[in-house]
Formats: sequence, C-alpha cells, structure tokens
Amino acid sequence: MTDSENIPLHFSSQSDIDEIENLLHISVDPVPLAAGAGKPSSAPPATIPVSSSPPLPPPQQPPRSVDASTSAASSGLTGFGPAHTTLTEPVWATLKRDLLQVVNNLRTVVFPNPYRKDSDVALRDWDLWGPFFFVIFLAFILSYSAAADRAKVFAVVFAVLSAGAIVLTLNVVLLGGSIIFLQSLSVLGYCLFPLDIGASICMAKDNKIFRSIIVLLTVAWSSWAVYPFVSTAVPPSRKALAVYPVLLLYVSMGFLVLANN
Amino acid sequence: MAEEENYSNPLTALFHVLFKGSAIAFYILCSFFINSFIIQFVVTVFLAALDFWVVKNVSGRILVGLRWWNEINDQGESVWRFESLDRESLERMNKKDSWLFWWTLYLTPVVWLALGIVAVIKFNFDYLLIVGMCLSLSAANIIGFTKCRRDAKKQIQSLASQVVTAHVASRLQSALNFV
Repeated sequence: MTDSENIPLHFSSQSDIDEIENLLHISVDPVPLAAGAGKPSSAPPATIPVSSSPPLPPPQQPPRSVDASTSAASSGLTGFGPAHTTLTEPVWATLKRDLLQVVNNLRTVVFPNPYRKDSDVALRDWDLWGPFFFVIFLAFILSYSAAADRAKVFAVVFAVLSAGAIVLTLNVVLLGGSIIFLQSLSVLGYCLFPLDIGASICMAKDNKIFRSIIVLLTVAWSSWAVYPFVSTAVPPSRKALAVYPVLLLYVSMGFLVLANN
Repeated sequence: MAEEENYSNPLTALFHVLFKGSAIAFYILCSFFINSFIIQFVVTVFLAALDFWVVKNVSGRILVGLRWWNEINDQGESVWRFESLDRESLERMNKKDSWLFWWTLYLTPVVWLALGIVAVIKFNFDYLLIVGMCLSLSAANIIGFTKCRRDAKKQIQSLASQVVTAHVASRLQSALNFV
C-alpha cells in the first residue's frame, strides 16, 4: 500500500499522535504503540482482529468524551483514550465492557454504596439491558405460576411495567423536574431487581405469611433504591407527587407477586 | 482490486443479517409450531435485542466504520456522541459491505411495520407488543446511524476546509517571507 505512505497525515491525525504520545507517558508499554502510532487514524481496511490484543493499550476507564464530532476537530481530542479505540476494538472487548456496565449499574442503583446520593455519578452510564432482563424475568416468573391464561399475564405485566416506566418518567418531566428520559427508564428498571429476587423466592414456598414478609421486604428495598433518584429530580415542593406513583407501581407489582399461586 | 468483488467481512455481514432475519422468521413461523405466546415474545424480542447490539457495536463499526452512543455530560445533560473512522478509511470501506448494511437496516422496520399491520387486521393485539418492541429497536439504530453518517460527512467537510485554509495560510506566510 504505497499510496498510504505518501498521503500526508490529516490535520487531526497529528494531534491524535500527540495525544497518544501523551498517553504513552501515562500508561506503561510503548512497544505496541510504535506500530499503531504511525497511522493511528487510518485503520486497516475493516478487518478487525477479534482475538489479538488491541493496537493501543486499553484505557483504564471506558473511552469517553473523545471524538471529534461535538467540538472542532483539532481541539476535540480531550479526555482519556483517543477516538478510534472503540472503533477498532475487538468484539470481546465491547461485550465485556457492556456486561461490566450492567453489573456496575446494578450495584450502584440497588445496593448501598457511597455514590448513590450523588446523582451526577450514580447512573452516568445508563443502559437498558439490565432493565430489559429484569422486566422479562419478572413477567416470566409471574406468568409461570399463574393460574389463569399465562400469555395474558405475561403480556399484561410487561406492558404495565414498560408503559408504567414511560408514564412515570413523563410525570417527573411534567412536574418540572429535570430528568433524562432513558436514564430514568433505566433507573426504574434496575429497581425491579429486588422484586425479581422476591418473586423467585416466593416461587419456592407457598406459605402466605412467608410470602407476605418477603414481598414486604423486597418492595421496601425497591422503594428505598428508587427514592433518591426520583426525589432529587423534581423541585422539593413536588417531591411527594413524583415519588408516590413510583411507590404505587412497585407496591402493585408486589401484590401481583403475592397473589400468585 | 479483488476485494471489490466480494464482501471483505463475510462473517460480520452474516451476523448482521442473521439476527434480524431470524427474529422475523421466528415471529412468522412460530405461530405454526409453538402455541405459546410467551415463548414467541421472549425469543423474538431477545433476537431483536441481540440484533440491536450487534448492529450498534459490531457491524456498524466493521462494515461502515461508524459508532454512536449516548452520554451524560458533567452538566447532567444527555449528549449524543458519534464516532467515525477518518476519510481514508471510510473511502477504503468495501462498497458491498456498506450497501448490505444500509439496505438491511432500512428494510427491517418496513417488514416489521407490515407484520404489525397484519397483526392489527387479525386482531392479535398481543402481538403488537412484539412488533412495537422490534420497531423501536430498529428505529433507534436507524436514527443513530443516520445521524452518525451525516455527522461524519460534516466533519470531513470541515476538516477539508480547515486543511485548505491552513495550507493557504502557510502559503501566504511563506510568500510574505520572501517579500
């Protein structure tokens, strides 16, 4: 490919190279960079190596805020990780990154940790995979042990949960709150995790009292998990108006779990 | 130029089409074999979601060199980010690959829309749930990639004009130095 040798590097490529060299001083091994630094922005024609290591040392945090689209091309290369890391990474790296994201989001939202109250940090990298799985799981469990028409129960639970999440988000927005639509869907979905656990435990035993206790505990857990996210999103005078429907949704799901036999 | 004749990424192209096609096929054929709506729903929507992930993260990158995602910035606002390979690589992309990519991307929601109309006519409103989910997943990908492509083109143009102005400026300077 002698042509590519003669094509002068792009204006932005030079800053790419500078960026990468800066990263070199921060990260460890310069050797793999030597191969990649020469032409960082002209990736080989679309043959992504799936099993070999990425050409650049993998960034310590997921590569964010680095691409040339939102600001001028020359000055847009801020942040850690040059723009083309995610474009040329192997498939397994993408998959692993997404799975880790789901686990992290779950841990942040549902389990106690110091970052929960800080809504800036808490669900920055929202994703909808976790909520998707939790909703399907809950609907499946509820329909599995349903006495009546199973398909109907499944469809109803799924529709109620997804429509409910959308409506609740709209509620917050209309109350004058500042919330991002998809992020809020993500939060409401992740907070279904305790109910999932409760439903699976309830499948094991049929004792009414046992089930009531489990459902009570898990609904309380869900509500505790979701409260900071919703209440910080609306002005303080409207807090109750925003939080109440969410709690109502989770309580009714709890009733559905309880009523199942 | 042997690569003009064939796909340069046949495996990726296969996966790109595989999940879409199997979701549609499963939806259509399932009602003949399996009588359970739940299984049909879960499998179809799962295949559609897998397809969404594959297109967004794998075939978009490999076949057309584009990537889009959404981030929350420091002010708490949602920002759509687009990423694309630079112009040389974009032009070196296999034409057949990108033809396949864009055509199947746009064709899928049309098929789902037709299936949705069929479901309405048959009064199977439960199935509209499935169709709705698959439609929204395909629509998300279409919007993301179309915006990304437009953004990449804009970027290339602005880069080109920057290079030209830088060149002109340096020429001017060297010309002035001689004076």
